[in-house]
Amino acid sequence: MRKAMPLLFDGLNEFQRKAAAFDGSLLTVAGPGTGKTLTIAHRLAYLIHQNVPPEEILAVTFTNRAAREMRVRAGDVIGSDASKIFIGTFHLLGLKIIKDNRTDDFLVYSREEQVKLLKSLMNDSTRKAQRAAEQISRMKNSLGNEDCEMQEAYESYEAALRQRNAFDFDDLIKIPIGMLQSRQTARKYRDRFKHIIVDEYQDINPVQYQLLKCLAGNSGNVCVVGDADQAIYGFRGADIENFLNFEKDFPGATRITLTENYRSTGAIVNAADGLIKHNERRVDKKLVPLKEKGVPIAILSVPDEYAEGAAIIRKIEERMGGTSHYQMVRNGSGRGDSERSFRFSDFAVIFRTHAQSKVLEEVFAASGIPYQMIGRRSSAQVEEIEETLAYLQSLIHPHETIGSGRIDALESKLLTAADLFDPRADAVTLMTLHMAKGLEFPIVFITGCEDGLLPCTIMKEGVDIEEERRLLYVGMTRAKDELHLIYARSRFLYGQRLAPSPSPFIGEIPEEFISNITVHDRAKKKNEPDRQLGLF
Amino acid sequence: MRFIADLHVHSRYSRATSKDMSPETIGKWAQLKGITVMGTGDFTHAGWLKELEEKFEPAENGLFRLKKECQDGDIPGSCKADVYFILSSEISCIYSKGGKTRKIHSVILVPDFESAARLNLALSRIGNLNADGRPILGLDAKDLLKITLDSAPEAVYIPAHAWTPHFSVFGAASGFDSLEECYEELAPNIHAIETGLSSDPPMNWRLSALDRITLVSNSDAHSAAKIGREANIFDTRISFASMMSAIRTKTGFLGTIEFFPEEGKYHYDGHRDCGVSLSPQETIHRNYLCPVCGKKLTVGVMHRVEKLADRGCGFKPQGSPSFQSVIPLQEIIAEGLKVGANTKKVNELYFSLLEKLGNEFTILIDAPLDDVERAGSPLVREAISRMRAGNVHIAPGYDGEYGKVRIFQEVERREIKGQMRLL
Repeated sequence: MRKAMPLLFDGLNEFQRKAAAFDGSLLTVAGPGTGKTLTIAHRLAYLIHQNVPPEEILAVTFTNRAAREMRVRAGDVIGSDASKIFIGTFHLLGLKIIKDNRTDDFLVYSREEQVKLLKSLMNDSTRKAQRAAEQISRMKNSLGNEDCEMQEAYESYEAALRQRNAFDFDDLIKIPIGMLQSRQTARKYRDRFKHIIVDEYQDINPVQYQLLKCLAGNSGNVCVVGDADQAIYGFRGADIENFLNFEKDFPGATRITLTENYRSTGAIVNAADGLIKHNERRVDKKLVPLKEKGVPIAILSVPDEYAEGAAIIRKIEERMGGTSHYQMVRNGSGRGDSERSFRFSDFAVIFRTHAQSKVLEEVFAASGIPYQMIGRRSSAQVEEIEETLAYLQSLIHPHETIGSGRIDALESKLLTAADLFDPRADAVTLMTLHMAKGLEFPIVFITGCEDGLLPCTIMKEGVDIEEERRLLYVGMTRAKDELHLIYARSRFLYGQRLAPSPSPFIGEIPEEFISNITVHDRAKKKNEPDRQLGLF
Repeated sequence: MRFIADLHVHSRYSRATSKDMSPETIGKWAQLKGITVMGTGDFTHAGWLKELEEKFEPAENGLFRLKKECQDGDIPGSCKADVYFILSSEISCIYSKGGKTRKIHSVILVPDFESAARLNLALSRIGNLNADGRPILGLDAKDLLKITLDSAPEAVYIPAHAWTPHFSVFGAASGFDSLEECYEELAPNIHAIETGLSSDPPMNWRLSALDRITLVSNSDAHSAAKIGREANIFDTRISFASMMSAIRTKTGFLGTIEFFPEEGKYHYDGHRDCGVSLSPQETIHRNYLCPVCGKKLTVGVMHRVEKLADRGCGFKPQGSPSFQSVIPLQEIIAEGLKVGANTKKVNELYFSLLEKLGNEFTILIDAPLDDVERAGSPLVREAISRMRAGNVHIAPGYDGEYGKVRIFQEVERREIKGQMRLL
């Protein structure tokens, strides 16, 4: 039974309703915590309610995680029809197009297989082959060729792939673009997907944009959702310009902005807003917090990276009401200062670079507090790609059509395999700012809020300061109730001891939302006990 | 055979634990106290487990004993005895259930090193076992029970110090109201609970839900002298299977040696920082708020028992094992001499008594009073006599503060000394 419209939109605010029920091309600017996925799910429901066959809807995400979440949410709102909607990543879409248009069997190479092939072609070390694979990937994504010598390797690699009837991950976007140059083929897909929804549109890169343009044609039914302020993948070719230009790009498009933030306290929302205002390349918007003001953001100055870890441990113990009798004796009592109950997974420690994780992990390991380091071995991107490839591989070989039941079965299997941690385990999450996107936690610590790390200029020149600011913005808006920004006055990093200044971004946060706390150096502490230390 | 066992202690790998808690020291103090079977503690810690493997040899009864070269021989001849070990560990589960933070400590006993290794392997996927001899896991206690039984079917899982406010299954701050609420369908696998220092069997008898449960007592010692401050008396073969069967069925489980519950750190309610100690009735009267700082009081063990009890005081379920309340001998001597328990004077008299009379439990429980007087003094005799009769005064412990034992009024102390002079 289909729900009546008013019921369908129960629980949505005015702008979410407008976005969900809009007919035509639409740019939905959705700030953090504004109910983006909920709105998309209701847009899907709206379309089906308008008698659009679910098969004619294409919903594209950037990660498998996002696709999974959208599938679940769509299922909640729509029911069984949701499974007939194509919900998946650009790569899954590309794979589908390739499969539709080829009759023969083909292989999709994982990064590992790609490197192996390059290694044999180049007759060189694995490390060199890995670097070549990265460069070839950049070339295929139209990110320019930094190294002319690569051209030869590129060509022989491509020839070898074709000879083996294999595609690499980047081909899954590139090949379909070629196929869609045929008018007939393009028409077929435009007829098939009359409604297109793209999530996290700010993350789209030039080739993905090309693929989208091929599929959309002149249809007036492209709905993109995203937030220019959360664009953090410029380093891998995402182009925020596509987001900023959407309204020119898709004539007749309208913009709706979701501003009501359901996630974070007023202090967190306003502080993050105050920070991101300093960016120029953005769509102007102001988030409206629906929660109370809450406690101010703690800006904590600590002597060094070990004190940074210790301060976090202390705070977690305080919030948990002590994790051992020993702590209780030391701190005077076991009474937490709040009536709220917490679990370890309510806490996240977020940092800019993997280099910062070593000491944090050392401190956590010594503390005995359960923790989980996310994405330690490889970058988010590589992990995501590996996961997708393993999944795609298993789809291709049995030579079956992509049915959603099968997708679910495979994905659930894949999840358990990918999850090294026992799912019953509850732990504090440690991760980079890039990994934190899309997640939320009651209490968030962002470490290394120092000049050189945020913005991360220490290892590289020509860093996009606005993207660095967006990274901090993404980190801050992960916090629901409490946010701690920590900077060390001394830090050992990349083989040297540094005496960094606080991040210039901290100065951009309006003072009314912050409270400054200093943990003094040990020697100093003895002579002049600091009242503020006690407070923390 | 009748023997005493203390199944829950900690090694030097645990936080806030004496650096000399080595296998040798534990073995030595077991003899001084009169304990035949000791828990090793901390088998979840890789360093400790390795040390145990190196220093232990299998005993003929299936338990373990220290290799000859690892035994500390500096023990009065009167106390020398065989000591056997069972692999034991305590795990702290901190998690959220039913919208509340739960902090539950559990004691796990396993039959052999293989079982310990299997359990450690499973738990290492949950969290870090090596930061603390008593590891903290973000794991539901029910899942810990399940993992334990899956890894080692013969293992016995015991909720530790079941009433303590902050870290126990019935604790006021982060526990449950019943074993079923915590362990759900696995609750029938719980055969015993540790009563902890602040409760004794009569308090637990007030809950009919615990009638099927064996009430065990262990020291949870973090230093050598505290080994055996509570313990269990078995009458079985000395073997893992026989002892575990006694714990499961109460057959062969003669009872426990107990602290006077008032002496425990959490018997009453209160605030240590504010110096406020209140009975359960007073706490209710004050609406659970501290009369000094106005914040919520730490609710103690007696209060929780009253809250969960479905029987009045004085009920004894049929077939319940008996118990004997004791005060550690050093404390008795200190009380008799009116000096601190950790003084040289106390220490000297303690070892002198042990040399003349045998191990501490013999002195506290079995030794004829005349012998005690001869070896010690009339004051020690009178103190032990009063302790055995339960005729002592204790200001109850609260919010982490131990109770204060008082055996003599000042005038009595003088009187007894005077009689001594007359004789």
